Amino acid sequence: MAAPSIPNLLSLRGSRGGGRGRGSRRGGPPGGSAASGPGHDTTIQGTDTDASVSRLSAVDMGYLDDPYAQYFVQNQMGPATRRLPIINRALDRLIDAFLSSELGPEAGRKQIVSLGAGTDTRCFRLFSRNNVTGLIYHEVDFPTISSKKRQIVQSTPALRNTIAPDPRKLSATLPRARLGAAPAYRMTASTGLQSDIPTLLVSECCLCYLQTSLGKDVIKHFTEQMQDLSIIIYEPVKPEDPFGKQMVANLAARRIHMPTLEMYREPADQETRLTEAGFQTSKAMTVEAIWKQWVSPEEKERVDELEGLDEVEEWNLLADHYVVAWGWRGNGFQAWDDI
Amino acid sequence: MSDLDKAIAQLRACRPIPEAQVRELCHKARELLIEEGNVVTVAAPVTICGDIHGQFHDLMELFRVGGDPPDTNYLFMGDFVDRGFYSLESFLLLLCLKVRYPDRMTLIRGNHESRQITTVYGFYDECVRKYGSANVWRYCCDVFDYLALGAIVLGASNTLSPPNEHISSEDYADADIEIEVCNADGDIMSRFQRRDNEQRSPNGAGASAGSKTGPPGSGASGSSGGSTGNPTGAVLCVHGGLSPLIDTVDKIRLLDRKQEVPHEGAMCDLLWSDPDEIDGWGLSPRGAGFLFGADIVKVFNHRNDLSLIARAHQLVMEGFKEMFDASIVTVWSAPNYCYRCGNVAAVLELSEGGGGESILARSNGDVGRSDGGMRGVMMESDSAPKNGPARRYRVFQAAPQDSRGMPAKKPVADYFL
Repeated sequence: MAAPSIPNLLSLRGSRGGGRGRGSRRGGPPGGSAASGPGHDTTIQGTDTDASVSRLSAVDMGYLDDPYAQYFVQNQMGPATRRLPIINRALDRLIDAFLSSELGPEAGRKQIVSLGAGTDTRCFRLFSRNNVTGLIYHEVDFPTISSKKRQIVQSTPALRNTIAPDPRKLSATLPRARLGAAPAYRMTASTGLQSDIPTLLVSECCLCYLQTSLGKDVIKHFTEQMQDLSIIIYEPVKPEDPFGKQMVANLAARRIHMPTLEMYREPADQETRLTEAGFQTSKAMTVEAIWKQWVSPEEKERVDELEGLDEVEEWNLLADHYVVAWGWRGNGFQAWDDI
Repeated sequence: MSDLDKAIAQLRACRPIPEAQVRELCHKARELLIEEGNVVTVAAPVTICGDIHGQFHDLMELFRVGGDPPDTNYLFMGDFVDRGFYSLESFLLLLCLKVRYPDRMTLIRGNHESRQITTVYGFYDECVRKYGSANVWRYCCDVFDYLALGAIVLGASNTLSPPNEHISSEDYADADIEIEVCNADGDIMSRFQRRDNEQRSPNGAGASAGSKTGPPGSGASGSSGGSTGNPTGAVLCVHGGLSPLIDTVDKIRLLDRKQEVPHEGAMCDLLWSDPDEIDGWGLSPRGAGFLFGADIVKVFNHRNDLSLIARAHQLVMEGFKEMFDASIVTVWSAPNYCYRCGNVAAVLELSEGGGGESILARSNGDVGRSDGGMRGVMMESDSAPKNGPARRYRVFQAAPQDSRGMPAKKPVADYFL
């Protein structure tokens, strides 16, 4: 087996941002505002480093095809840790369906708002396809993360060119949004947000870090502005069984706290959450269910054979504790009916 | 104190031994293992353990719960290394104990005892990190090649001896317990009486039963050994499971095992396969080995005069799981696996059968699937072969964090974040 694929268990490092705010223990998050102070922000930003490393690992191993992943991982990270982000497939399927739905009032014009996008490469993958026209893609994240990303994009032709021909495509990696500070979340027409075209909000492990009331406000901010709106939320669930309890404890040891995990404990709670937020239709499935039901036998077989996978039970457990919830209202999402 | 005893003491403190000593140890171990057949014969009483995966402190907890070697006769069903942070110390300690007490310690091979798998799942890196070179990893892998592929336990009793010194064996002889579940302190958590109709009490873990039979009483007869049960059919122990290429235990004996675990074939299957709720054979999601159903197990057990197959390999949240009318059991001995899974662990104790006067009853003959209805957390079966050995599962949790003496390298588990 090639050297780069050898994982170093110790490189599954924890809170890289640790040390900061060491004295400020979470004594229950301060009421109403962000989950906790700046220390928590740093920790959450660290989760993006985690994510980018996992993504590259998955690409290296052949799980994913993502030529853009390499640009967002720094060399000093050490050997890629090995993970199984099969989750991407679930979201890709929903997003593809959204993009392929041609029946909207303004056929072809679509908008995606990715909350807490971090180093995610989805927009580059989307724009590199020929058939994606009229797509507007917003990414929202901490200023430090956004500006770093912009820097990388601008200095990397392979990335820059993907979005360059039409600068409108990537309207902005908004530097002003500091996750956790609700007023800064105001995306409006002045920041390029179109309120009159079908729009998809994506939260891949983003809203879960906010106090639930704040998370609601974020969604409300969009539901108030636009009629044709949909949302995909991906985050952990089931904190109460043995695996879930351990997950909560392990995350707490990394000073990561997810208010949604307490509030929306089961997949069904996520459906209710979206219904209450004003989406006409809402659905939720665990990643495990998605893997079982959506992934073709051929693809499963392909993935099974990539390596001698000795993590089957572990994967099932983990996948059972993540949910993909999606909901929509208005026009532009007909393709989701068939999912 | 011999060098070996010193090494054992050092390893028990979770401190690696010098490279030269590892080399010598591995050499001795190999000389010992080469004499063993592919299928080792082990006499009850024996305590059967599943995957350890480098969780050293939990292995210490296992010894605390199951009794210290050599006082307890142990059989480990492989997967000593990988995933946990202390594969090296765990494996070397087990190996030292094997060399020191060869008749009280049986080690068989798991699918992680392989060059290829250990380079992917951590043991290789750990060796390089701790010794600065791959030499120790190589010595260990050479030992892996000589580990037996399975074991046959003979003379297991159809009754249990008491789980702790507070209960007299007389109380036990009458109880006719088939399955008993104890916690880490030896307290009885639940019991299932043999094959009586309404009795295989469903509500499984933690519940019920204790009152039904002789309560934990005064007694203190002290005499731990010598129960009065009858021996039962043999128990086959193997890491993974069965193979479509193997229909008799004797065929396992014919394999050439002294090699790296192959990617396919009988040897691979024994280490990689899993039982599953299917008919016949199926493809394994692990990409190696097969899935096999109840029919396969029953035919195999019948043909080979087995009353039970004990295997490891699969994480089970309750530490053990009996399937297919108790014809096969999974034993898992790594609590909170990978510091993430939140599971408990278990070991399986089989008692010694009394002097074989009566019925050497290997009657696994009739695969009667009589009545239905009752099933508990770990009982997927409706009825058990009458003369299966009595089984005591000792369930335990991960060692407390503060017992992990080493500089608190906080185990960090992965999540999608």
